[in-house]
Amino acid sequence: MDKVEYTEAERWLIEPKPGTAAARARDFGVDLSLTVSNLRLTPAERVRQLDEFQAVMKELRRAVITAKQNARHRA
Amino acid sequence: MLDIERELRLLAEYQIDCVIIGGIAARAHGSSHETQDLDVCYARHHENLEKLAAALESVHATLRGAPKGLPFLLDAETLHRGLNFTFDTSIGALDLLGEIRGVGGFHECLEDCLSIEMFGHVFKVMALEKLIISKRTAGRTKDLMMLPELEAILEYERLKETAAGEKSPNDESES
Repeated sequence: MDKVEYTEAERWLIEPKPGTAAARARDFGVDLSLTVSNLRLTPAERVRQLDEFQAVMKELRRAVITAKQNARHRA
Repeated sequence: MLDIERELRLLAEYQIDCVIIGGIAARAHGSSHETQDLDVCYARHHENLEKLAAALESVHATLRGAPKGLPFLLDAETLHRGLNFTFDTSIGALDLLGEIRGVGGFHECLEDCLSIEMFGHVFKVMALEKLIISKRTAGRTKDLMMLPELEAILEYERLKETAAGEKSPNDESES
């Protein structure tokens, strides 16, 4: 797998210096590599990606409900 | 469940004067947080309230969390008498806020906003600085949890601006 190359500005988030907001976010538990991936998209692409994710989650929920119903019928 | 495309298309098709705020705005600015609803700050002039009522009616909006059978007439007058509303609709949760604590109303939310084109329409998204203020002022755990990432993004954006400002005059003179 290719190693992800980061720009100088992106490294500010990936390898934050102590005392910066990025360091505080990292220490809080934010996965800033995900944030960098989002920042590489346009604002519209970011929202579209969330919309697609919501559609997948909806499908997943449907599948879980169906699986539970099937399991109940079998029991 | 939230259908962002259909909710945004609804607002565009009814030509609602509003600014996207909350989780979707955070996402547009680069946050990786997920959200379950679309929050907008809407203009309170009568024509907009009429359009909003019609839009909400078309997706069978009901007050979220209200007891079943609670009388609620969805029209411009009701929207005028209230300020902030949380609705369930046939296309997902939609929250309408007339005023954002720490920021103000529609016109304040519009200042420095981001315009983005999606699904064939242009939408206004609250500026990152204002979004941070609104989250900090709201002060709920779920808002506060978004702050570290939003502040890191703001820092990153400012760093990029500073770098671009320092670079471009020299680049031009050297070329």
